[in-house]
Amino acid sequence: MRSDEVYGQLARVYDPELDQPLTELGFVGGVSIDGSVVTVRFRLPTFWCAANFAFMMAADIRERVSELPWVERVDVQLLDHFFDEEISSGVNCGKSFVETFPSLATDDLDELRETFRVKAFVARQERLLRSLLALGWTENAILGVRIGDLPRLPLGSEGLALVDRYLAILKERRLADNVTAPAFVHPDGRPIDPPELRAHLSRAQRTRLSVEFNAAFCRGLLKTRYEEADSLCRGALAGPPFPGTPSGEVVE
Amino acid sequence: MFKTKSGDEFFVIDGHLHLWDASPENQANKYGAGFISCFYDYHRNLSPPDYVWEQSLFEKYGPERMLKDVFIDGYVDMGIFQPTYLKDFYKNGFNTTEQNSWLKVRYPERWILNGSWDPRDGEAGLEYLESLVHRFGIRGVKLYTAEWKGNSRGWKLTDPWAMRYLEKCQQLGVKNIHVHKGPTIWPLNRDAFDVADIDEVATAFTDLNFIVEHCGLPRLEDFCWIATQERNVYGGLAVVMPFIHSRPRYFAEVLANLLWWVGADKLLFASDYAIWHPRWIVDKFMAFEFPEDIQKEFGVSFTLDVKKKILGENAARIYGIDINVRKKELAGDAVAAMR
Repeated sequence: MRSDEVYGQLARVYDPELDQPLTELGFVGGVSIDGSVVTVRFRLPTFWCAANFAFMMAADIRERVSELPWVERVDVQLLDHFFDEEISSGVNCGKSFVETFPSLATDDLDELRETFRVKAFVARQERLLRSLLALGWTENAILGVRIGDLPRLPLGSEGLALVDRYLAILKERRLADNVTAPAFVHPDGRPIDPPELRAHLSRAQRTRLSVEFNAAFCRGLLKTRYEEADSLCRGALAGPPFPGTPSGEVVE
Repeated sequence: MFKTKSGDEFFVIDGHLHLWDASPENQANKYGAGFISCFYDYHRNLSPPDYVWEQSLFEKYGPERMLKDVFIDGYVDMGIFQPTYLKDFYKNGFNTTEQNSWLKVRYPERWILNGSWDPRDGEAGLEYLESLVHRFGIRGVKLYTAEWKGNSRGWKLTDPWAMRYLEKCQQLGVKNIHVHKGPTIWPLNRDAFDVADIDEVATAFTDLNFIVEHCGLPRLEDFCWIATQERNVYGGLAVVMPFIHSRPRYFAEVLANLLWWVGADKLLFASDYAIWHPRWIVDKFMAFEFPEDIQKEFGVSFTLDVKKKILGENAARIYGIDINVRKKELAGDAVAAMR
């Protein structure tokens, strides 16, 4: 099914601030396919969610869905947001952030994106470090783990899911190429010295907590904001994602 | 006043209260409608079911209702009004000092009435600030850096005009600067919740207190760092508190960090009424204990003394209120007679 392929691509788009896929967060409000044209509607927990992150997600949706070989055009529609029209039309025209908001933005979003990828790195690593500490591992044992050891760590399925997420972000940052390199490093690849591990963990704990607290808040708000609308469509298999949205609409 | 079973009394100062008018008649545009519906979702999402209001009541509840909720039902002895003007979104403003003064005039001992300023108002705004001090005797201000004004989409505490306003506060004895962070839009490519400007002004104005509302969330790590560097930075617990009900584990983790990094002397209780009702928050706060693992990890305890500080003593100290004297004054006032 082509819609499965689209959702498969959307599962690779992450909220940069919450470090979770849009599909899991419930941000995808619906997908319509008309031949080679795909329309993706997405919605956020509040009217005031940060416009820069919304733009990143919209641009990433367009990029990921465009990777499907049969897709010729992607129409991204951000809904119910103070900059919904600006962001949707900017991204759909292939404009950069600065081009979309010439009077409000002083630069594109690379720096902001990197700041939050670093937070995501730190938070993913912290969860894994904690699960090793909970098993009674010493600091030296933890810092002795190499990249190649990660998939073989003696963890349960939950712990191994943490390994997968950590490995993915190591790869993204090109820190996983050498299997004999230390697995637990700073976001820029510098090794962590054993005496600094505790302080490192304490800092990382606050980053992880901020991200999780925020994600819990956002998930709750999204549910509150859209649960009535969603429940109206429940049961209608190919039904519209929102009341008032015609199903299988033809996108011009 | 909250009383424990053994008769121990807790004087409660609610550090963040609003009397707003977000009724459709007062909304100026879609942004006004979007602003209150966002608040309403906060309210619906984190309140226990018994405390969820109809939207129309939430949009405009009026002073009598507020008085009953906060002082009669809500354990609160004194409240701090934190105005948010939003005049580009609401015709008469959302929650102004003037609107709030209606209750202050009638029940003067119950309220700490704060003002507000906006550096984009230039010289005229400095005069307005002076008039707030003369008319209402304000000792604090609430600043909202995300406010839209004309073509502007927000401001920073380090903007040159903001520094002039802070100097003016210093001269006028307006010591308590409550800052609500984000979502700031200008410049749009920056993190909307960045708290770095607090650090700079707290260093520059060491005799002012900077109370960061909702403790810098969702940037707790940056806030904790700043608060350890600056002895005049405080955390306002609005928005943090209601998680005590729906997400007690996160609440415990956040509070443990705040107690460790910011300290029990620098946290102020706040309900953010009418987003949340103080009654259930105070009840849960008094009953709350840290899970064992968190207590062990952070080495902080949530004793009755700590609760007493957060609920009232800290706010009383920075606003120069003698709780024992005030208790006696309040015992005979009109609100006490309604209880």
